[in-house]
Amino acid sequence: MFLRLQDVCKSYNGGSVRALDGVSFAVAEGQFVSVIGPSGAGKTTLVRLLCGAERCDAGQIELDGVRLDQARGGALRALQRRLGSIWQDFALVEQASALQNVLNAALPDMSPLPALAGAFGRQRRDEAAALLDRVGLADKLDAPVHQLSGGQKQRVAIARALMRRPALLLADEPVASLDPVTGRQIMELLQDIRRTEGLTVLMNSHDLALAKEFSDRLIGLNTGRVVYDGPADVPDQALAAVYGGGEAAP
Amino acid sequence: MRLQRRRGALLVLAALALFFLAAAFTGCDPALLWSRRGHLADILVKMFPPDWGWFPRILAPLWATVQMSVAGTALGALLALAAAPLCAGNLPFPAPLRTALRALVQLTRTFPALILALTATFLVGIGPFAGTAAITVYTFAIMARLTSDDIETAPDGAFRALLTMGTPPYRAFFRGMFPSVASTYLTNALYLLETNVRHSAILGYVGAGGIGLLLNEKISWREYEKVGSILLALFLAVCLIESLSAYLTALVTGRRKAGRTLRRVIIAAAVVLTLVSAATVGRPDFARTSLRTAAAMLGGLVHPDWGFFFDTGAGGLGYLLLETVAIALAGTVLGALASFPLALLGSGRLMPRPVALLGRTVCLAIRAVPFLVYGLIFIRATGPGPFTGVLTIAVCSVGLISKRFGQAIDTMDMRAYRALASMGVPVLSRVRWALLPQLGPAFGSAVLYRFDVNIREASVLGLVGAGGIGAPLVFAMDHFDWPTAGAIAIGLVLLVWAIDWLSGQLRKN
Ligand SMILES: Nc1ncnc2c1ncn2[C@@H]1O[C@H](COP(=O)(O)OP(=O)(O)O)[C@@H](O)[C@H]1O
Ligand SMILES: [Mg+2]
Repeated sequence: MFLRLQDVCKSYNGGSVRALDGVSFAVAEGQFVSVIGPSGAGKTTLVRLLCGAERCDAGQIELDGVRLDQARGGALRALQRRLGSIWQDFALVEQASALQNVLNAALPDMSPLPALAGAFGRQRRDEAAALLDRVGLADKLDAPVHQLSGGQKQRVAIARALMRRPALLLADEPVASLDPVTGRQIMELLQDIRRTEGLTVLMNSHDLALAKEFSDRLIGLNTGRVVYDGPADVPDQALAAVYGGGEAAP
Repeated sequence: MRLQRRRGALLVLAALALFFLAAAFTGCDPALLWSRRGHLADILVKMFPPDWGWFPRILAPLWATVQMSVAGTALGALLALAAAPLCAGNLPFPAPLRTALRALVQLTRTFPALILALTATFLVGIGPFAGTAAITVYTFAIMARLTSDDIETAPDGAFRALLTMGTPPYRAFFRGMFPSVASTYLTNALYLLETNVRHSAILGYVGAGGIGLLLNEKISWREYEKVGSILLALFLAVCLIESLSAYLTALVTGRRKAGRTLRRVIIAAAVVLTLVSAATVGRPDFARTSLRTAAAMLGGLVHPDWGFFFDTGAGGLGYLLLETVAIALAGTVLGALASFPLALLGSGRLMPRPVALLGRTVCLAIRAVPFLVYGLIFIRATGPGPFTGVLTIAVCSVGLISKRFGQAIDTMDMRAYRALASMGVPVLSRVRWALLPQLGPAFGSAVLYRFDVNIREASVLGLVGAGGIGAPLVFAMDHFDWPTAGAIAIGLVLLVWAIDWLSGQLRKN
């Protein structure tokens, strides 16, 4: 298995908030998995653990045979370099150009001095430009990000994630802050990219309809526990446990 | 992209070259400062502990200083409010009036409060009245400019609607448009109140009342423990006014709520304080004034000393103005460099609370000392001349730049930083590419703004022997040499106008 979680726990506020409570599942290479669940179920916490932004309290996380939960310093960064991530609020540098934002993803591969001086080199620039072209922003290379629309921003963020040539693409509510039409376009882009690049995708979503339409498999979280794990093409009643007893139904 | 990056690099190189030219021109000599650091340390040590017994003697002039700034700021801000709609380009008021008012604002904006105060002493006599008049004019110029700029970008729908109903334009402005600029207007006025307290504290230097006279006397008699107590009193006063103004700013911008009665009490207190300050500020003294003086002053402006104006030698106007600009430039750059670590230290976001508090207090203390006092202290170490001016301007710039820069740090967006971290980008690269791009513009605009202020401050440094145009200007005024004073005034107006234009161009890029 490519990604494997075993009894992962994470709590906040000295244990009073159990965000994840013994989560176990495994993802095979090339799968498109959607993690669904009501607000507060622990979806964002899960992604933060997977990208190494936080550490789990107990349990194991294994990426391609390497223990991510135990990695520190250089070893952790080596694992992180194989990830691409997309966030609900885009997490771009608003003042910088679209091209620069994509180039930022090349920084982990560069030695310190060129990285600080911005000597990215012709090859990386061309690659970044090609990726922006791929997501439909060929004419926005030099536009500062704050001038772009929400959908365009998320396209820049996707290009930035692809620039890492990631083995695993993590997406936390990638379309939640977009309008439905734009959100659908972004999902179609993600699906298309996954097909052509053969990516493994793990996406969070509280939008059940979108998750069902675009993914191969659903993992349902509720108050930090896995309450559903199975195919995406099931009737809504099969997912009742996911939204029952949570803070709110979608 | 290529071109843009090359232009950025060129700009940085040009700025560096300018800085080194200015530093060489003003005789900047770090070795000299280092070798005489003992003198500075001596003065600082002598200021502590301050002379506590002498404290009560300070209260009366301190109150006079605060009084001058409160009355002057209130009056100046009100006049500016009346004039601002007439200056704004987007409102249908008579064009000739607009042109005339704008010229008046640009003209008065050129002169530092101290020169305005000196001019006022010739017209209304020595004393706090002259100081209040100077602060009023100074506040008027800045507020009129800021407010009319605001009006030009404010939504004008309600205003136009009122006009079509036949409301007279002036009334339509206050009903339909002022509400949307009111909070910025009040915030600016409160900020100016803080600045004006510091300015008022040196006006005594030219006989315009307040604590400045005492301060100058004690520095020249080298009674440093008394200087220490005056500075401490000023620091406390500035702290008080800063926190008051921070509280009021929070109310005005709606970040803090206050009940109806509390609001009324605050407004009533402000009105009473202003009225009391204005009523007790002292009368003008026309004993020494005559129409002849006023006519002679105007005559100097109309018939300036053109020989001096076009003199390209070392004693000519061009050279002195160049020296003033060089002092301001070198001082601003040095001050900006020093602000950087101070701002980081004072950031509540990056530092633990006690460290941040210490950093902020240091900033506030630096800001509380009136800038001529730095000149008087540095001169003991580095002697008279433009280098002392550069040091003075540098220290004065630290307060404002580090405050603005600290605000930028505290409102930084950390999301991109964290996103890059989760992709394995090392920390230095993260700071360089996710944080610096956010700080650059804020830092640049704070530095440009401060440079604009520093040109004015540098033009009075001559008063304490720290170089620039100030010495000849004050000398000419003291000797009723109005043609020379007129030439200098015209030179300053042209200089400030040119710098305005230049920084406008820079801002556009
Ligand atoms: N940094 C944090 N500090 C304290 N509590 C947190 C923190 N992050 C998340 N939580 C809590 O953990 C639970 C799961 O949150 P989250 O993972 O954001 O849920 P979701 O993304 O599914 O809406 C919630 O109860 C939330 O309040
Ligand atoms: Mg979430």
